Amino acid sequence: MIPIGSALVRANDWLRERFPIDQQVLISMGSEPVPGHLKRWWWCLGGTPAYLFIIQAVTGVLLTFYYVPTPDQAYESVAAITNEVRFGWYIRSLHKWSANFMIVAVLLHMMRVFFTGAYRRPREGNWMLGVLLLLLTLGFGFTGYSLVYEQLSFWGATVAANILQSIPFVGPDLADFLRGGPTVGSNMLTRLFVFHIGALPTLMIVVLLGHLLLMRTHGVSPLGSPSGPDAKRFPFIPDHLFTEIAVALFLMFILTFLAIVFPAGLGPKADPLVTPEHIKPEWYFFWAFRWLKLMPEQAAVATQGLFIALIFFWPLIDARIRKRNPDSEASIWVGVGAVAFLLTLTVWEALYLLH
Amino acid sequence: MSLDQKQKIIIALATFFFITLIIVAWVEGGRRRVVKAPDAVVTSENKDCVDCHRVKSPGIVGQWEISTHAKSGIGCVQCHAAEEGDVDGYEHEGRLIATVVSPKDCAQCHEREAAEFQASHHASAGQILGSLDNVLAEVVEGFVEFDAQGNKIKASPAAVSGCLQCHGAEIKVLENGKLDPATWPNTGIGRLNPDGSRGSCSACHLRHNFSRAQARAPENCGRCHLGPDHPQKEIYEESKHGIAFAANRSRFEPMMEEKEWIPGKHFEQGPTCSVCHMGATKNLPITHDVGERISWTLRPPVSEKIDAAAIKAGKRVKSWQDRRKDMQEVCSSCHATEWVKNWYEQFDAAVNLYNEKFGKPATELFQMARKEGLLTPTQFDEELEFTYFYLWHHEGRRARHGAAMMGPDYTQWHGFYEIAERFYMEFVPQLREILAEARRHGKAAAAARIEARLNQILASDLHKWFLGRMSPGELAARKKAAEEFKKRYAQ
Repeated sequence: MIPIGSALVRANDWLRERFPIDQQVLISMGSEPVPGHLKRWWWCLGGTPAYLFIIQAVTGVLLTFYYVPTPDQAYESVAAITNEVRFGWYIRSLHKWSANFMIVAVLLHMMRVFFTGAYRRPREGNWMLGVLLLLLTLGFGFTGYSLVYEQLSFWGATVAANILQSIPFVGPDLADFLRGGPTVGSNMLTRLFVFHIGALPTLMIVVLLGHLLLMRTHGVSPLGSPSGPDAKRFPFIPDHLFTEIAVALFLMFILTFLAIVFPAGLGPKADPLVTPEHIKPEWYFFWAFRWLKLMPEQAAVATQGLFIALIFFWPLIDARIRKRNPDSEASIWVGVGAVAFLLTLTVWEALYLLH
Repeated sequence: MSLDQKQKIIIALATFFFITLIIVAWVEGGRRRVVKAPDAVVTSENKDCVDCHRVKSPGIVGQWEISTHAKSGIGCVQCHAAEEGDVDGYEHEGRLIATVVSPKDCAQCHEREAAEFQASHHASAGQILGSLDNVLAEVVEGFVEFDAQGNKIKASPAAVSGCLQCHGAEIKVLENGKLDPATWPNTGIGRLNPDGSRGSCSACHLRHNFSRAQARAPENCGRCHLGPDHPQKEIYEESKHGIAFAANRSRFEPMMEEKEWIPGKHFEQGPTCSVCHMGATKNLPITHDVGERISWTLRPPVSEKIDAAAIKAGKRVKSWQDRRKDMQEVCSSCHATEWVKNWYEQFDAAVNLYNEKFGKPATELFQMARKEGLLTPTQFDEELEFTYFYLWHHEGRRARHGAAMMGPDYTQWHGFYEIAERFYMEFVPQLREILAEARRHGKAAAAARIEARLNQILASDLHKWFLGRMSPGELAARKKAAEEFKKRYAQ
C-alpha cells in the first residue's frame, strides 16, 4: 500500500511535469506587498465590480437556459423563469440587483479614482479602459432591460434606437444595425440578446484583463504622502484577499436580502401597437433622458457625446491644465460639477416620473 | 484591522448569507405552492378531498387547481356528491359520493348547455345497439356472451375499448356497488348514466380543468371524428380552415381560453370545428347542439336532409333550411353572401351526385338481393355485404364529408374515385356472380328481376359510359381534350 504523503508528492510531480509553472512565481505574485491604504474597507471598490460581474455571468448563464429571445416568447419565458422555474425568481432577482449594484460600484470606483487623482500619469490609459468598462456596463444594463420585453423596456429600446438614429452622419446606419432593419422587430430582440450574452461579455473580459494588467504593471497608485498610511505595506494574500472575501460575502448577503424583499417584477407585455403614457428607462439613464427633454434631440445627443468624450480624455486635458498651473485644483471642481450635474438631472427625472 | 478580526467578520457575514439562503429556500417552497394554484379556492367541504387526493392522485388536484371551477370554489363535492338512493352512490370517507359525473350533475349550474346537449344527436350516440357498426364490433370482430334469457354476461372487448369509448357505454353498477369494468371507465359522448341521463360532458371538456381552449381545439373532436369511415379531422386539416388555424395557432391559443371566441371579432381566420358547429357569432348564441347548423345528414347509405327522419316520424324539429341559414350566418363572418350561396350549391351537387349515382342504386340493388333471398339473413357473412358497407360507410362518407368541409383530396381520391372503383369493379361483378349462382340454384326469376334493374341502372345517363354507350358528342369532346393533354405533356 502506498502511503498518502508519498502519493501526494507523486501527484504533485506528475502535475508539475505536465504544467511546468513555477509555483514560487505564483506565490510571490500573490504575496506582493500592497500599499497600506488598501487596508481601509472602502478601498475595495475596484474588486467589487469585478466580483459583481462574476455574479452577473453565473446568473446570466442560468437565465439563458430558460430565456427564449423571440418576440412571441421572450416575455413568457421571463414570466416562466419568475413564476415557474425552481429558484428562477431568485436567480433573476440576483441578476437584476447585481446589475444595479455593478453600475453603482463602477461609478463609485471611478469617483474614488478621479478625486484621488489616481488617473494621472502614468495611468491615463487605465482610466480610459475604465471609462470603456463603464460604457460596457451601461450597455449590459440597456440590453438586459430590453430583453425582458415588457411594455416599458420595449418602448425604452425603441426610443434608444430613435436617439441613435439622430446622431449626425452615422446615426441612421447605427440605428439600422441595432434594429436589424428600418423598424423595431424580431431582429432587434435577437441582436440585443447577442450583444448581451456574446459581444458585450467578450469585450468586457478583454478590456477588464487589460485594466487588470495595467493595474498590476503600474502597481496600486499610492495615496497621500510617503509617510502616510502607505508607509507600511502588507501582502496581498492573505490580508487583502480576506477583505475581498468579506466584501463578496456582504454583497451576497445584501443581494439575497434585496431579492427576497424586492424580487424582480414583471410589467405588462410589450405591445408594439400601444405606446405607453410614460416611457421610462432604467434609473442610470434618467440623466440622459431628462437632458433629451431639455433641448432639441440632436443637440442633446451631441452634448452627451461631448460629455462622454470629456470624461474619456480627462487625464489628457487635466495634464494640460496642470502643465500650465501645477497647483490647479480644477479637476476637483470639474468632478464635483459633473457629479452634481448628473445627480440633479437624475433626481429631476425621478421626481417627474414619481408624480 | 488584524487578520483575526477579518476572519471573524468573514464568519459572521457567511452566517448571515447562509441565513438569507435558508429564507430563499423557504420563499421558494411557498412560491411553488402558490404558483401551482394561483387562484384555487378550497372550501371547507372540499378541503379533505383536496388534501388527500393531492397525495394519492396529484394530477386530478393539479387539473382542478387551474380550472375556472377552482377559482369559484366549485370543487369535488359540488360535482361528485350523491343523494340517498342514487344507484351509483357509495360511502367514501364519511361522505356519499358517485364516481360518475353526469350531465344532470353539470346541469346544476350549466342548465342551458345541458338542455341543448340533451336535444343533440351527440346525446343519443350511445344508442347504437342495433346498428351495423355494433354487429361488427360484437359479432364479426368480437364476441359477446349471453345467458339463456338473452342478458349479456360478457361484453366484446372490441366494442368496450373501441365503439363505446366514443359512442358511450351504458354504465352498470354491480351488486357490490362497484362500477362494471365492462362499462366504466367511459366518457363516450352518448353515455347512458346510472341516473338515467344521457351523455358525458367530459367527452369534450376534459376533466378536471375543463379548459375552453382545449374544448375548442380540433384535436378534441378528432378523438372520435377521424379514421376511414368519417375522417372529419383529417379533412379539416386538409381544408383552408385547418391550414389557417395551424398557421395562426400560437397567436390564437392564449385567446381561445376566453369566454368569447367569435369569428370576425376575436379572430379573423382559421375556425375550428366548434366555431362553425357550436360557436357564437355576432348574431348567433353559442349552442351545445352540434346539429343545429347542419342541413344534410351525410352518415346513412343515402343522404337526406337532416329533418327528413323526424318529419317522417311526425316530429316537429328545426327545419334544414333554418339550420342552413344559421350555418350561413357563421360563414358570413368571413365570406361574402354570394360566395357562401355558390359554395352550398357545390356541396349540394356533390351530395346529390353520390346519392343518385351510387348511394341509391347500390342500396336498392343490395336490398333487392336481400329481399329476394339471394343473401343470407346473417349480416356480414358474404363479400357483397362488406363491399356495400365500404361503399357507403367508408368511401361514400369520405366523399360527402370531403365536400362538406372543403377537403378536395378526400372528396376526390379518398372519396368518389374509391366509390366508383368499389361500385364498378366489385359491387357490380359480385352482384352478377350472386345472380349467376341464384340461377344455378333455381332462383332464376328473382335473379332476372334484379338483373333487369341492374341493367336499367347501368344503361342510365349516369352509368352508360360503363357499357360503352357514351354519346358521340361527348366522345368527340373527350378525345379532343385527351389529345390536348398529351400534347401539353409531350406524351
